[in-house]
Amino acid sequence: MSSGKSKGPNKGGARRHENDRIYAHPLPLIFSDPSSSRTRSILGLLGLSRSQVINPHCEGYYDPSTRSVWVVNQRDSEILWRRGFFGKGNLSRSEPSWFVRQVKDRKSRQVDSGANKMTSEEIREKRRADRKQFKLDRAAAIAKVAAEAETIFETEGRVVVPALFGPEIPSGSTWKSKTAESERESSGSLENAESKREDENEGEEEEELLEDMEHLQLTLSEAFFLAWNFDCLTILDPETACFDEPLSLPEIWTTFQQIYLAPPIPTLPTPELQLDNPFLIHYAVYHHYRSLGWVVKNGLKFCVDYLLYKRGPVFTHAEFAIVVCPVYEDPQDQEVSITNLRNASPFTWSWLSTINRANSQVMKTLILTYVTIPARSRLSKEMLKTPACFAHYSVREVIVRRFIPARMRD
Amino acid sequence: MLEIHPSYPALASVAEKYPTHRGSLFQTYNDILLAQQWRDVQVIDLARCKRGAIQGRRPRTAADADLLLHIVPCSLAESISLAWIQDVFAALANPPSIYLAVVSDDSSIVYYKLSSGIVKPSI
Repeated sequence: MSSGKSKGPNKGGARRHENDRIYAHPLPLIFSDPSSSRTRSILGLLGLSRSQVINPHCEGYYDPSTRSVWVVNQRDSEILWRRGFFGKGNLSRSEPSWFVRQVKDRKSRQVDSGANKMTSEEIREKRRADRKQFKLDRAAAIAKVAAEAETIFETEGRVVVPALFGPEIPSGSTWKSKTAESERESSGSLENAESKREDENEGEEEEELLEDMEHLQLTLSEAFFLAWNFDCLTILDPETACFDEPLSLPEIWTTFQQIYLAPPIPTLPTPELQLDNPFLIHYAVYHHYRSLGWVVKNGLKFCVDYLLYKRGPVFTHAEFAIVVCPVYEDPQDQEVSITNLRNASPFTWSWLSTINRANSQVMKTLILTYVTIPARSRLSKEMLKTPACFAHYSVREVIVRRFIPARMRD
Repeated sequence: MLEIHPSYPALASVAEKYPTHRGSLFQTYNDILLAQQWRDVQVIDLARCKRGAIQGRRPRTAADADLLLHIVPCSLAESISLAWIQDVFAALANPPSIYLAVVSDDSSIVYYKLSSGIVKPSI
């Protein structure tokens, strides 16, 4: 935007190198080869390898109320985030950083700290404050120009049309944050420090031991992806009597589907597994894009189901926004369906236009991902007992771009 | 799992009463209290709408720091109608505006401000 990105101690290249180092592994499993490079090349000629798979063996707790798997352990949290960007801190924007922010808050209350490395939440707040200030400055400049035009008309009788653009009115590229960053920070932090010190003297500011209240939250799709494909996540059931029992894969498979089938009255029996279960549809899409190498994250902020990142949120913004559109192979299945699937019926042009506009504004391409649900007549009930049923689902993409005939001639 | 979280006792009565909305209430309560750091945060029971809601004030350093604001959590799976929104406004004794918190299963929350009547843009 305007004032230029704040280049702290990790400017451009250094930050990129650090990110490349921290986020070097795209998946939780690591391959390591203990032999020397000579042995490796000799064995390689014979088509052999002594490389081993290092499995981090992470643990998570299944929580039915939030329909997610919680990773409470800090080591596992870090591994799952850094190797593949799985999950989201439940009190943070992306990576669990709540504890770090709290500790920093406390430190800044005691000591006037200079510009340290900011968490992404702090960067976001600063960006919003800058943008607000820019809008205020621009509005003031426009009002000033209009007032000048008025006085010119009154004194000289000349009509001047007040400009909305021009050298006097700040635009996105010319506006500079008025006070220098350091000035604002020091004055801001001074104010904060003063007011906070007052709070401390007045109220009961308990500086007790800070407990980390945050966990890494994995969606059911992410958890199943890790457990089924890499066997690097053990999912524990906290409801079991004495100690937390790990769920077996078949149990995970049925539990994750049944959560969506829970009857409205708890006393009724759980209905049997269905082919159009939202878990199956969303997992099919998640698996499809993950297996192609994309990092798939939630798209709630942009009115879509998923966002696709090329390497990860840390590197670039998401380029694609996915809307999942389930389609029934047999229309009769849709009529008798007990699950209420979103977007299973075609949506209106106005809605499609809205989503497309919202996403083009943030430079994302909208993709409609159609998932075909196989017909019940074709598949036996037995198929639903294992993930083998996924072979019968198909995933196809349609890219939506707005075409303006008057402007797009190429 | 959320029953053993330290913040659960504050929600317990309302969460037990409306178990379907437990997850979104818990998520929103924690976000408001711990991440957004609002003050005077309380969980209230909207019996008419059969769910819980949250009220609180923004941090001292924010604009409108003394206004009591209301937040109604809901999950992405629900569908919301105008009647639903009207019920919520009525149940909260018609405040000028409420916040709707839409919670997703990866813990992303999107807040929407709903005002009753037309509101002029601020800038």
